[in-house]
Amino acid sequence: MYPKEENLSNYIKNAKKIEKINHQKRVRIAILSNFTITGLAESMRVKCHKINVDCSSYVSGYDQYNQEILNSESELYQFKPEITFLIIDSKNLFKEIYDIFYTKSIKERKEFVDKKLDELTNVVKTFTEKSKSKIVISNLAIPSYSPLGILEIKDYGISQMILDFNEKLKTKLKDYNSIYIYDLFQFYYKFGEQNITDPQKIAIGDIKITFDYIPRLAEELLGYIKPYLGLNKKCIVLDLDNTLWGGIIGEDGFDGIKLGPTTSGNIFVEFQRWLLSLHNRGIILAINSKNNFDEAIKVIRDHKYMILKENHFASIRINWNDKIQNIKEIAKEINIGLDSIVFFDDDPRNCEIIKTALPEIMTINLPKDPSFYLPLIQSMNDFNTLKITNEDKKRGEIYHKQKQRVELKEKTNNLEEYLKKLETKVNIKNIDESTLSRISQLTMKTNQFNLTTKRYTEEKVRSMMNNSQMLIGGVHVEDKFGDSGITGTFIIKSENIEEWKIDTFLLSCRVIGREVEQAMMSCIIDKAKKEGVKRILAEFISTKKNLPASNFLEKCGFKNKGKYWIFDLSKEFKRPASISIDIK
Amino acid sequence: MSQKLYKIISNVMDISISELTDKSGPENIENWDSYNGLLLIDELESEFNVKFSVDETYDVKIIEDIKRHLKNHGVSLDD
Repeated sequence: MYPKEENLSNYIKNAKKIEKINHQKRVRIAILSNFTITGLAESMRVKCHKINVDCSSYVSGYDQYNQEILNSESELYQFKPEITFLIIDSKNLFKEIYDIFYTKSIKERKEFVDKKLDELTNVVKTFTEKSKSKIVISNLAIPSYSPLGILEIKDYGISQMILDFNEKLKTKLKDYNSIYIYDLFQFYYKFGEQNITDPQKIAIGDIKITFDYIPRLAEELLGYIKPYLGLNKKCIVLDLDNTLWGGIIGEDGFDGIKLGPTTSGNIFVEFQRWLLSLHNRGIILAINSKNNFDEAIKVIRDHKYMILKENHFASIRINWNDKIQNIKEIAKEINIGLDSIVFFDDDPRNCEIIKTALPEIMTINLPKDPSFYLPLIQSMNDFNTLKITNEDKKRGEIYHKQKQRVELKEKTNNLEEYLKKLETKVNIKNIDESTLSRISQLTMKTNQFNLTTKRYTEEKVRSMMNNSQMLIGGVHVEDKFGDSGITGTFIIKSENIEEWKIDTFLLSCRVIGREVEQAMMSCIIDKAKKEGVKRILAEFISTKKNLPASNFLEKCGFKNKGKYWIFDLSKEFKRPASISIDIK
Repeated sequence: MSQKLYKIISNVMDISISELTDKSGPENIENWDSYNGLLLIDELESEFNVKFSVDETYDVKIIEDIKRHLKNHGVSLDD
């Protein structure tokens, strides 16, 4: 069911051969553990390399995590990790419990759990105070055997203690932005204790996770690295025939396709349900299918068992055009980079064509047997985000509205007229705790309309928020079709009494071209004038993707002076007429 | 079969087959540390479909020892 894995020895060997050249991104990770977990760092290095990431790592000594975290001078801190993984084995953490179990009362066992929990959470909290790194701590797996045997479940037994521990761990750490819990419990559930553990390896080297499962663990932990580096996928483009339903609509007809409460029809219903749940958490869906439009859209609109409806798709291309062209158009319509797209198709030739022409797209050739579609998509760790913001939950709806805007634009032939008809309202507010994570997310994800493309973690944004020399604005955009949420941000640094510098200025692609950027700039200029500032400095740092922002400064009246663009505040700035701006 | 054994060892220890002899082991192969030793045993077990005991694992010093233990488990290494 899970994709085949290579031998651990291959990972270890290949990790050494990766040269530090030309990776698109890099990340520094630390691995801490209370058992031997050799090979994990190497597996992660190789897996990261495959997605064009240079992953360097620090691995602490055997069971040294306590000392390493408590000692500010330790190698761990010197390494300056960005993400730290702390993987805990329950039997090593709860060692004593096996000796004392029968002699302790339930109350004492509960106290034991609380004591262990406090020890561990205190260490983790200490770490977050000393390091800027995110920390991913594992919860505990339940040993499948208990001295209580069949009575285990009746008592506050070991499994109950561990469940209790996991629950409390979650509650205690949930409000920490830099702490994540990795569900090691589920890892054991998924692959099975019998497979993961080997008593000989434990006896010889306290190797709790046997060699074959180290690369699988690495794969799971990659699920944190991808969103951290902004490599998560945002959009799924789907074929229709033998993808969303069984059979071919053009041949089998409306009543002949497999979709609904039959053995093979159920498979597609379940696959669609999963896609719908991804849609609900913020993943954009689109269709790219070679079919007669009328025939195929009828299924989407009218089929009783179709879970995904027309309004779940941000873009629909059902035609006989080239699939490459279609997918390019989809990307353009949704305003999303090709590297944020996953394409699902059952036809290996189509997949090959897309793969060759557009290698930035992640192309998934669906398995021959449709019953494996669901486990395949479920096991993908490419859709993770480090946080789900309100904007994520609303995204599907937002894109549906976007489609309506495009339709209005097509009906109105004058741009000014169109902008007026949109009735855009821009609301600009200083950052606060409630908008912090969204603002960080925007800096991490926005590529196109972004003057400097500086990426800021939540921790970094928070420290800038608390810096009195800095001004951070969150830009909320709304129009007659609906609320786009916070879709823009700017970060200004006061260099001295006379000069402000624009550190970051970005706008989500959803709202580009509606004069929101001018509204933002006019807000900055007004604020600067009020403070008696003379000049605003700005910079355009060109990347592969930010062409849409390249002439913005010039358009706003900034004059190029070497590295910087400068706006002289004795000049006037023309506010966009079509927008109502509210500044708080 | 000897060839298969050498191939596995060369792969795990990241060394060319030509550098291996029956006397090769941790003493004369740089990559052959205790961890790689365990990895090797693990791969031999799955490749030859055998299971070594902890004592046998510890007893392995050089390739000759591996051959002896494989033979005890009924794996014929005659080329």
